[in-house]
Parts: sequence; C-alpha cells; structure tokens
Amino acid sequence: MSQLGQQHPGDLIVVAGGKTGRDGIHGVTFASGELTAESETVSSSSVQIGNPIVEKKLIDVLLRARDLGLYHRITDCGGGGLSSAIGEMGEETGARVDLDRVPLKYSGLSYTEIWISESQERMLMAVAPDNVDRLLELFSSEDVEATVIGEFTANHHLELFYEGQRVCDLDMEFLHHGLPQLEREAAWETPRHDEPELPPHPDLKQALLGILGSWNVCSKEWVIRQYDHEVQGGSVLKPLVGASNDGPGDAAIIKPLIDSDRGLIISNGINPKYGDIDPYWMAASAIDEALRQVIAVGGNLRRVALLDNFCWGNPEKPDRLGSLVRAAQACYDIALRYETPFISGKDSLYNEYETEDGSICIPPTLLISAIAVMDDTRRAVSMDCKQEGDSMYLVGETYNELGGSHYYSTYDRIGNSVPKVDPVKGKKLMDALSEATGKGLVRACHDLSEGGLGVAAAEMAFAGGLGIELHLDKVPLGEPMKRDDLILFSESNTRFLVEVPLSHAAKFEETLAGVSCTAIGRVTSGSRLEVYDLNGGLALSADIEELKEAWQEPLRW
Amino acid sequence: MAKVKTLILRAPGTNCDWETAFAFEQAGSAVELVHINQFIRREKKLSDYQIMVVPGGFTYGDDISGGRILANELRLNLGDQMRDFVADGKLILGICNGLQVLVKAGVLYGLKGENRYPLTLFSNDSGRFECRWVYLRTNANIHCVFTHGIEKMYLPIAHGEGKIVTRSGISNAAVYYTDDKGRTDADYPHNPNGSIDNIAGVCDETGRVFALMPHPERFIRWTQHPRWTREPPSEVGDGFAIFTNAVDWAKSI
Repeated sequence: MSQLGQQHPGDLIVVAGGKTGRDGIHGVTFASGELTAESETVSSSSVQIGNPIVEKKLIDVLLRARDLGLYHRITDCGGGGLSSAIGEMGEETGARVDLDRVPLKYSGLSYTEIWISESQERMLMAVAPDNVDRLLELFSSEDVEATVIGEFTANHHLELFYEGQRVCDLDMEFLHHGLPQLEREAAWETPRHDEPELPPHPDLKQALLGILGSWNVCSKEWVIRQYDHEVQGGSVLKPLVGASNDGPGDAAIIKPLIDSDRGLIISNGINPKYGDIDPYWMAASAIDEALRQVIAVGGNLRRVALLDNFCWGNPEKPDRLGSLVRAAQACYDIALRYETPFISGKDSLYNEYETEDGSICIPPTLLISAIAVMDDTRRAVSMDCKQEGDSMYLVGETYNELGGSHYYSTYDRIGNSVPKVDPVKGKKLMDALSEATGKGLVRACHDLSEGGLGVAAAEMAFAGGLGIELHLDKVPLGEPMKRDDLILFSESNTRFLVEVPLSHAAKFEETLAGVSCTAIGRVTSGSRLEVYDLNGGLALSADIEELKEAWQEPLRW
Repeated sequence: MAKVKTLILRAPGTNCDWETAFAFEQAGSAVELVHINQFIRREKKLSDYQIMVVPGGFTYGDDISGGRILANELRLNLGDQMRDFVADGKLILGICNGLQVLVKAGVLYGLKGENRYPLTLFSNDSGRFECRWVYLRTNANIHCVFTHGIEKMYLPIAHGEGKIVTRSGISNAAVYYTDDKGRTDADYPHNPNGSIDNIAGVCDETGRVFALMPHPERFIRWTQHPRWTREPPSEVGDGFAIFTNAVDWAKSI
C-alpha cells in the first residue's frame, strides 16, 4: 500500500469533466503581464469559458468515486492545465501521456495547445488499473466525460506522445529543480502625507452619515441577496442579521455537517486605504480584522486558518515589490503571534495598465480570509442590539490612529497615523472575550473597523431597532486624546463594542480582567443614537432610521 | 410495518438533495437519492417508493427555462410511471426547481388530460435572482396532504424564475406569500417575485401532488431562522411539518 494521496507506478492517468479547448491558452502568462489597449484582441483566448453545470456534474460524481475509493490521487487542472497537473503529480514517479487521447471541444488543437490549455472543469486522477473500468462506468452513468490519457511510470521522466510520435521527454528532476531561483530588486520608502491639522467637524452627525454612506461601509445587501446563501440549509449566522434581516453581520457561520452542532466561521479583513501609508500595517490590520470577526460572532483562536489574497501591481518594478515584501512580512509576524497559520492563498499581480502617460497601477490590496472551527454553533453571537437596559462595553484601547481613516477621507486627506496591531495584547484580549462569549455572557458583539466606534454603534443600533447611549469620556484610551471626533472615529485595531445583560455584567468584567474593558453606555428603548462628549454634553443625536437610510441608500436596488 | 421509502430525484445541477434527504430522514422515512439516468436506464422504478421528491437546484443549468429539460425527461421517460404513482395514492413533492419541473412536466395539471399549462413560471418581477425569507399562509379551503394542519410558515426563497403566472382565482393555490401580519395582498418584497394572487405553492386535485417555491427543508431546526439569536426559540423549524405530514400519510399507503 502506498500512503494516502500517492499514486503507484502503473496507475492510469484519467482526465474527467470538461473537454479541452483553445480557451485559456497561456492564461497564467497573460495574467502575469501588464494590460494594454491590445490585450482584448491579443489575449482573448487566454480567458477560460466556465460552465457551472459541467462542474456540478463532475463534483457530484467525484464525491461518489471518492466514497468508493476508486482513485489514489486527484488534482484539478488550474494554471498551466494538464502540463502543471501531470507535471506536479508525476514528480515522484514519472508520467507518460498520449495527448491525442485527450477529449477536445473541437478539432484543430496542436499538441502544445492540448498540453497547456486551461479549459475549466477538468480534474485529473491517478487510478489503479483494477479500478479503472468501475470508475469509467460510474462517470458514464452520470454523463460525465472521463478518459484514460496515460499512466504514471517509474522512470522519473515526463514523456509525451502525439499520434505515436514522442514530442517531449524531460527528466522530472530537471523539470522541478532545474530553474535557478529568480532574484528581483525590491525597494521601500515610507511615504509621507500631509499631517492634517483639521478643525473638529462642526456636525458629528453629518460626519457619521457621510461615513455610513461611503462605498466601503454602506450596505452590501444588493449583492448578498443575489447569492443563494441558504443552500444546503447550513447557514447558522447569515450575512445579514438583526430585527429586519438587514444588519451587517461580522462573519458567516455555516454547519457543513447537517446533523452536528459543530460549524465553521468564515470572515474577511481588508482595507486598501492603509496601504497608501504602509502595506505592513495594512496587512496587519486586515489579519486583525478577520480575527476580530471570528471572535465577535462567538468563535475563538484555537483552530483558525488564514488565507491571503494579494492584488498588486507589477512586481518587476522595485517599488511594487518592496510594498509586497512589506505586506508579506506583516503576514508572517502577525500570524505567528496570533498562532493562526496561513494554509493557502492566491495572488493576482501585474494589475497595471500601460498608457502613453505612464502606467496606471491598482492600490496594493490584501484580502485576508479566516476560517475557524466552532465547536458549538448554538453559542453564536450576532451584532444587533437586543435588549433595552443592557450595558455597552468597549473592549480594547483607542489610540489617535486616523491615518487612512474614513473620517479623514471625508476631508479628502490620508494622514500618516495608520492603525497598528499589538498581537501579543491582541491575542490576550481576544482569548478573554471568546471566553465570555463561550460562557454565554454576551448578547451582541460587533468589531470596530472602518468608521470606528461611531459606525459600530450606529450599525448595532439600527440592526437591532433600538437606541444606544454612549459616553466618550468613558472610552478607554491608549494615549491622551482630547477631541470627541477623533475618539469617535479612530480606527484603532483589536476593539469590540459588546452588549452585556446587567445580570451578567459582574461575571463579564471578571472574565475580561486584565484587558481593557469599560462600560461606556447602554441600550435604550428610544430609537436614537446619542453620543455624549468629553464634557458630558450631547455631541451627536440621530434617529436610527436616518442612520440606516444613509447606510442603505448608496447601493439600494 | 415497513418504513416509508422516499425517492429524492437527482439530476445534473440538483443542489438541495442532501438537506431534503435529511428532512425526510428526520421525519422518519428511509431515503434514496437516485439519478434520473437510473430511471431512464430502467435500473430503478418509481413503484418501489411511496414519496417522490424533485428537490431544488438548477437542473441542466436551467437552459431554455427553469426546470424545462428535466421536465421533458420525466414526461417522456417516466410519464406512465408517474401517472400510476399518483393513481396508487402516493405522494409527489416539488421544491423550487422541483416546482418548475413538475409544472412543466404537466404533472400538476396534465395527468387528467386537462389543459396542459394553465399555470407556468416566469422571471421574478425584480429581474434578479433573490435569496430572502418570506411569510407564508396556507389555503384552508383545499385538501393538501403536505400542508395539513399548517396555517403559517416563515421560509427562505432563492430563485430567479419564481413568478407564478396563471389566471387569478385558480382553485389549486395551496400557499400564499403574505406580510408579517398575514395579509395575502402584500407587495414586494413580501411577494418576492410578483406571483399572481401571491401564490407560492400549488397542489393538484388529489391533494397528493404539491409543489412550492420556498424551501421548507432549509428551516427544520431553530438555528436556521435568520433571527434565532434574538427571538424566543421554537422546538423545530416551520418547514418540518411538511415532511412529517407526508411521511405520516405515506405510512397508510
């Protein structure tokens, strides 16, 4: 017996699913170059043409083949198509392929095109000769194409044939290790933006309404409703939550196993505005945000995996590569200290468009996704306020960190004081808060991100259909701050606004002993968000329906 | 007494088979997932089951129109078997895409030789696929095995072609979209697709062939409710009674 996921020499190579066509030739190569005015005509065949129904049929029958143990090893045909799938799978053994046996969408493909096509919906399996008839019969019974195109050998060579002619013979050692390590130059220079010395906003309510209606903050119901987020009946916490099913949930929770209470939390962190100041702290903030959301819905950091998704410019240019290196360094540093490993990721580089006046490059953008195992999904916490009279706690310290903030954006400024992350303190805080949610002490919880405390409080209030009263003089500060607007809209990381029933308040405070946690207000029966300033005067008073309208209006369908 | 046997029909693009099977198992039935090709090849026959279910999905990509291709396959390959199935007093349930399939296969109307399509489905008035929860009320004036004893339900819909188009006042309406007050003349988004008379589900004259656009299999446990974290819990989800009704009835077949 070989180990799991390893083929034997003599195992047959079976390609299954969609046929191979000329779509997706050089897809990866195309994605690794800058776009120009000619891209559409020159590279249109580089774009794969997807077909969901072929994919669904393939997945259905593959699950049955898996359960019957009909294949030893499997991989998908991604970038590079058969060339990378077979090349990678055959590294330890060797492989021999007859390219004329690959089912084609239409005739006329050269053997090179067959070998490198990135047509979608194709999977590659290593199948023992004893099992191949059963496997082909199973696939045929559900009208899914499956074809033997070669076999794994023992000679550590990659051999390709076309109509009996040998068209390739490469040593696997050379194929996998023959390319010298690329060396590229990276440069990084910290940008300095004007440090805004802004007068306090004359009307904090108008500032809040403006941030709620900004593109990054406003409701995404328009797109959420157009996806079936209930399929398979596994959603425990849906993307939209609250009294009217329209508040912004922090993370989704699904139960992949329908008869178990265990589940998975899926969350995301992203904020390209911070990248204008420093990609290191942008990456750190994105990781912190994804983890905050795991904690906010009742999860913990015990079993969390991260994924990165880099969208960047041309890494052959030293400044682009320099910022990429900065972000990658933060991924390493922060993930290590939060003890949350990266298990996979994706990059999309070369996002630049060449014009006569120079290259236009996208802002460096990193999306972090977190997946966390939740042992008991019945402990899930949603972000909507639920009960008049409950205490509102602010967990985590607020700093004068408004660089890249949405508040500065309302003045069209960037600033320099980008939010930092202290993962040692952060982990301690998140562990304590997850203990509180695990004990059932928390009625609602929302993390503070874009727009800071002001936006988080507004969202919790209008999602729950209740009022909130907050006192800025009670907000726990990490450094002296004397301005109401900066406290209200600072975007410091690792902060949560938490609704706690009065009956659980003592136990909650005890559980969070040792981390920054202060009651700063309460849930009210009224329909207003009321914020009191550092001197105790009413700094902001807004009807929750008006706040919700500002948040929903921009992308309403 | 032998356990009730429920057939969940699979076809390319079926994607609600698993949770529908789970709902029937929870209701006390044995369940078999069978691919349409197994019926076409005569490896399986309908008469081995008491309940037949066409679950949700996007069969054959909903090419031509929602459910059309599977409907033709059923009509041409299983028409006689389905006619016998209903004549034998057995039950047929269609959910979402299953409603589209049963309507277009003529199963809900065509079996008695009447006008084949007094009812069909069309794109939502919004012109978009929509996923949202809806309030429902059953028609107390008709006999329907599946909705027996159910007055109201709260269930999710997820479809792009769910507008039921028919003449107003048809007698086969079994379930209506309402608002949270139970009003059957409520507008969008309560009636999420613009269905005539707010019809969300229909039942044939026997009371044993029933199909609806909302998904009862997606609300059989309390934690599937969109507001379960803030409202007083209930023992089971609103959709569960549909399945227990069917299985309990089928025990007497």
